[in-house]
Amino acid sequence: MDRRSFVKQTLGATLLAGTVAASARFPRLFAGVPSLPFDLVAVKGGEPDAMFDVAIGALGGMTAFVRKGQKVVIKPNIGWDVTPERGGNTNPKLVSRIVRHCLDAGAKEVYVFDHTCDDWRRSYKNSGIEAAAKDAGATVAPGHTEGYYHSVTVTGGKVLKEAHVHELILESDVYINVPVLKHHSSTQLTAGMKNQMGEVWDRGYWHRNDLHQCIADFAGYRKADLTVIDAYLMMKQNGPRGVSLDDVVPLRTQIVTTDVVAADAAAAKLFGVNPDDISYIKIAAAAKIGRKDLENLNIKRISL
Amino acid sequence: MALRHLRTVRVVVSLLLFLPVLFMFIDLTGILPAWWIGALTAPEFIPGVVRLFSGIGAGVAALLFVTGLTLTFGRVYCSTICPLGTLQDFFSRLNRRRNSRRRFRFRRQNYLLHYGLLGITAVLGVGGSFFLLNIIEPFSNFGRMCGTLLRPLAILLNNGIASLLDAGHVYLLFSAPLRVPSPESVVLACVFAGGLIAASYMRGRLFCNTLCPAGALLGLISRISIFRIVFDRAACKDCGLCEKVCKAECIDSGSMRVDFSACVSCFNCIDACPTAGLRYRAFRRAASDRSSPPFNRRRRTILRGGMGAALMVLPGRDTLKAVLPAPTGKSRSKLPISPPGSGGIERFTSRCTACHLCVSACPTQVLSPSLLAYGPGGFLQPRMDYSVSPCTYDCVLCGEVCPSGAILPLAPEAKKLVQIGKARFVKDDCIVITKKTECGACSEHCPTKAVHMVKTDGLFLPEVNDDICIGCGSCEHPCPSTPNKAIYVESNPVHLIARKPETKKAEPQAAPAADFPF
Repeated sequence: MDRRSFVKQTLGATLLAGTVAASARFPRLFAGVPSLPFDLVAVKGGEPDAMFDVAIGALGGMTAFVRKGQKVVIKPNIGWDVTPERGGNTNPKLVSRIVRHCLDAGAKEVYVFDHTCDDWRRSYKNSGIEAAAKDAGATVAPGHTEGYYHSVTVTGGKVLKEAHVHELILESDVYINVPVLKHHSSTQLTAGMKNQMGEVWDRGYWHRNDLHQCIADFAGYRKADLTVIDAYLMMKQNGPRGVSLDDVVPLRTQIVTTDVVAADAAAAKLFGVNPDDISYIKIAAAAKIGRKDLENLNIKRISL
Repeated sequence: MALRHLRTVRVVVSLLLFLPVLFMFIDLTGILPAWWIGALTAPEFIPGVVRLFSGIGAGVAALLFVTGLTLTFGRVYCSTICPLGTLQDFFSRLNRRRNSRRRFRFRRQNYLLHYGLLGITAVLGVGGSFFLLNIIEPFSNFGRMCGTLLRPLAILLNNGIASLLDAGHVYLLFSAPLRVPSPESVVLACVFAGGLIAASYMRGRLFCNTLCPAGALLGLISRISIFRIVFDRAACKDCGLCEKVCKAECIDSGSMRVDFSACVSCFNCIDACPTAGLRYRAFRRAASDRSSPPFNRRRRTILRGGMGAALMVLPGRDTLKAVLPAPTGKSRSKLPISPPGSGGIERFTSRCTACHLCVSACPTQVLSPSLLAYGPGGFLQPRMDYSVSPCTYDCVLCGEVCPSGAILPLAPEAKKLVQIGKARFVKDDCIVITKKTECGACSEHCPTKAVHMVKTDGLFLPEVNDDICIGCGSCEHPCPSTPNKAIYVESNPVHLIARKPETKKAEPQAAPAADFPF
């Protein structure tokens, strides 16, 4: 190899590597914004997996969100060391079905993780999500040590200016937020935006510095490409962990949308509260992170 | 089987028992199931004796087994089952000087020191102070050395490899939380390890025959054991090799006598003897091969006196009870919090040999070694440290692995009602009051909702229901208030039973007019 071809090849390889690295760091630069038939799809009356099939079908299928070879991260709620019927975590059947849709759409890798509240190994196991996600072909990733979290600037954050965010959220091409709808002792309601708290390391900072504002600030920093609210079982009281099966009522409902604020507004109505009574929904809507005026959105309602 | 193979058998058996016990203490991910740990620790002698005070049936069988073993074969326990024994043999072997394997010579055992120490330890122990026992107990020292010195290194290694794999998103190993042991516990473990290395390097099983309480007790039994090592006066050529390889220094080759109470049945002597001049066989008291220990009348008198004194001290156990020191460190609790299953501070401190197996097994590391948190009588015993983590609601591991009965096994449903302390709310330190914003981290994590939020002046403020609080620290740990936690667990010196949390059945959602309420 002569010197000239060596220099050429080296330069070429460097450029290529740089491009690849840049596309990995800023995946959204290269992703198109999907134009969707509906702003929000709500389904009721089926099993979690069947409802998702219908909902994602109404939005044009998972291929509208996931392209061949992309890396996907799914963030369910795996916060608690409780079994699926207690409704404390996202339904494992739903997580499994979303993984399958992503892989069928050609995703190269699908990751599932949460920064749990209870002991992470017990929560992953007893929620049923670890096994369900693995069986469906996902890689279940840990989030229990600070090393996985990297400091980012929260642009537009009013109170939350900086956060340590899980690397999978930062580097994945597609991010799907899959919360479970529950009562919450501090914020009264937990669904889409509140679930994103499980993507950061230092939650104490949020609690110390106006919890509602921090939740809204972070929702503005990283918008999920898709939010799927699991309201198959709804914890109506004693949330977010729940004390017994008494806390859970069957709702058999699901909300799928790209707008997390709209998702939470719809979830609030399902729960039976006015979205305006939940501070973080109001703050996020006012900051134009999403819309809570459901009446002006194009909503597809499906009963199975 | 030729007698020569006895030493090989001993080495193989000791390693087969040693390695799993070593692994048990540095098992970072809880691979070993609790029943394995139970089986591995069941024959540990001193924890077994302590366990008798808790009247645990299953433990008695293991204790009888060890006693029977010693009655039959002598102190094979010390050469095979005891992990500290095997560790000493390892250190002893490190002595690589010329002829180092033949460096020993017979010495009269210091029975006064050994049995005097045993007596004092027993008196203190029965009186409720485990200070002395926890300093000299072999299994506990082994556990603490592993937990304090080896485990952090194992964690560093594990986390190093894990982070390399993580970088490629290969999640095969998980980084374990590294808890840097306190300087005091490192110093203590190093001092013991250093002393043990020096003693075994120079004098083999010196520890076992001067300090070890298990060695002393089993030595009493092995005085009358059936099989013993005896000289065959006809075959012995008086070369003295047996004496030189005896790491217990209990063979007097000159007078052809073996102090079998000090013998740890390592069989080095039989292996070394070139002429089959030593036998290991059923003992017959013959004038020619008498092996009665040099236990003289004066010493017996002293020992009897000691035992008598011990019995007299028994009723006055209150005089020995540890005086608990003022609270130190981060916790606001006035007293240390003992783990669920321990019954309370007094019961726990008079049952725990501080082997720290529970500390190694605890998945969230809430069980933390202490130095003097329980006072001198509870030297080194573990306590709940909620600055590290809360106690997992459904977890009962510590009780399942505890070898001494200090933490009794509890069924998960029973454990969920054991109240080891009560949450105390300090309103003036609460974020909701000081910053006038919502928080509620305490109530979020509470598994019984003993800590619940009550709307006060437009904001939700925590309130504690003592009846259903179990003191698990799920509120204290996440409380974001600084510098003082606004909610903390105050220890129950005697554990209580909490009321089962009652929940009202939630009403199903009222059906909306349309299919959806939006």
